[in-house]
Amino acid sequence: MAKPAVILVGADKGGVGKTTVSRTLLDYFIAHNLPVRAFDTESPRGTLKRFHPDVADIVDITSTSDQMKIFDTLSNADSQITVIDVRAGLLSTTLRALRDIGFLDAAKKNQLTFAVFHILGPSVASLDEIAETSGYVGDASYFLVKNFINNTTFFEWDPATYNTYFKRLKGAHEITIPKLNEMACEQVELAGVPFVSFVANKGATGETAAYSFVLRGYVRHWLGNVWAEYDRLRLLELVAPEALRKDFARQA
Amino acid sequence: MSHGTPVFIICSPRPRVGKTLLARVLAEFLRTEERGLAAFDANPDEHPLLGCLPAYTAAASLSDIRGEMALFDELIIPDGVPKLVDLGDAAFDRFFSVMQEIGFMREAQRRSIMPVALFLADPENRTRRGYAMLLDRLPELALVPVFNEMISTYVPFRHHFPRTRKGGSPMAMPMISPVVREVMERPGYCFAAFSESPGAMSTELYRWTRRMFLQFRELELHLLLEQLKPSLQAAR
Repeated sequence: MAKPAVILVGADKGGVGKTTVSRTLLDYFIAHNLPVRAFDTESPRGTLKRFHPDVADIVDITSTSDQMKIFDTLSNADSQITVIDVRAGLLSTTLRALRDIGFLDAAKKNQLTFAVFHILGPSVASLDEIAETSGYVGDASYFLVKNFINNTTFFEWDPATYNTYFKRLKGAHEITIPKLNEMACEQVELAGVPFVSFVANKGATGETAAYSFVLRGYVRHWLGNVWAEYDRLRLLELVAPEALRKDFARQA
Repeated sequence: MSHGTPVFIICSPRPRVGKTLLARVLAEFLRTEERGLAAFDANPDEHPLLGCLPAYTAAASLSDIRGEMALFDELIIPDGVPKLVDLGDAAFDRFFSVMQEIGFMREAQRRSIMPVALFLADPENRTRRGYAMLLDRLPELALVPVFNEMISTYVPFRHHFPRTRKGGSPMAMPMISPVVREVMERPGYCFAAFSESPGAMSTELYRWTRRMFLQFRELELHLLLEQLKPSLQAAR
């Protein structure tokens, strides 16, 4: 069994697209035949679970029992990868808890792979979040995500200021999530299915749906661009070595 | 042609080169074959094809996503009914960008739909760039240059519009006298009905229509052979 991988997707601000990014990650890993599980911390009602009911569970990340449910099962879970969609305002809290339980130390000792996808919001406050979050991240793979899915002119802050924050971070990477046509975005929301199911014209139970071919095309094109970003950052290599990926591919 | 669903796109990045005239003749050719027809007039400000053939033409717009859905969601239906798009010059770039972005060609191939662009060629640089763009960005598209002799009889520029394997030989819209042209540009004029009328055979208009129909038939045969080529090769 290879070392488990944990990906934390979060931001201290709400409405910046954490769940959208989590959904693209789940689609990406599933499409590559990698066993993945997800925890949706929007307790008691989870948005991520609505789109990925087969792999997502709703948890309260602030409760010890749910923390045990996630982290005590990393080594013996069937899934190689764990994606945690951290609810708004809890990113720093969660990272602090991970430090306290020794999780960050385990990552430092290379016993597991740990990556943080920090979704940046449009306000200057997001830059301060970077400074705060990076204090906990340490040796983890730290990805700063500029999410343009719903907006073309998104960021209020000055690029030069952002660069000064970015340069302070050792080994951080930047990801850009491109814009998706509003109607396409809305229709996937309404359908309540993973992006790949929408592209394949499948409903929630695998039945053939009647989504617009044009909207499916736009989603496919957009998802391809998002995945190209993950490919660029060699995300698959990060979470699963090549030999393991081949094993999973054979099993699939 | 009995295999698949053809989608004819009459296009050029320039105005007033004969797109709607070509669309009308092709529409009537397809109608005479009794296979049905769904035509779309994608000229942004006015709808000349809709004015001429209102019974089986719908107005189409690419100005927003709803318009794109209304058009492309119809074009991708594999119902065997030929589709025809009279694409206005202003919508040229947008139409092919959408086509590329939504993966139309791949899905069309999967559904046995055959998109064919009849491209009105002329000596202008813009037209040349438009053709090169289609060759580059949509290599699977059956692209057919159409030389409208009523626009230009200058021959040397034609090498900028090479024939494509999928589209086959270039087509020509023959020169016709201004008086006759005025007749056929009248709204409600019907090429097919005229060709069948007594005494029509000796006229210039009859010969012109017949030559156009013959080229359409050759094009359809070429498309059919292209479609059957893989199975013919496998049978050898």
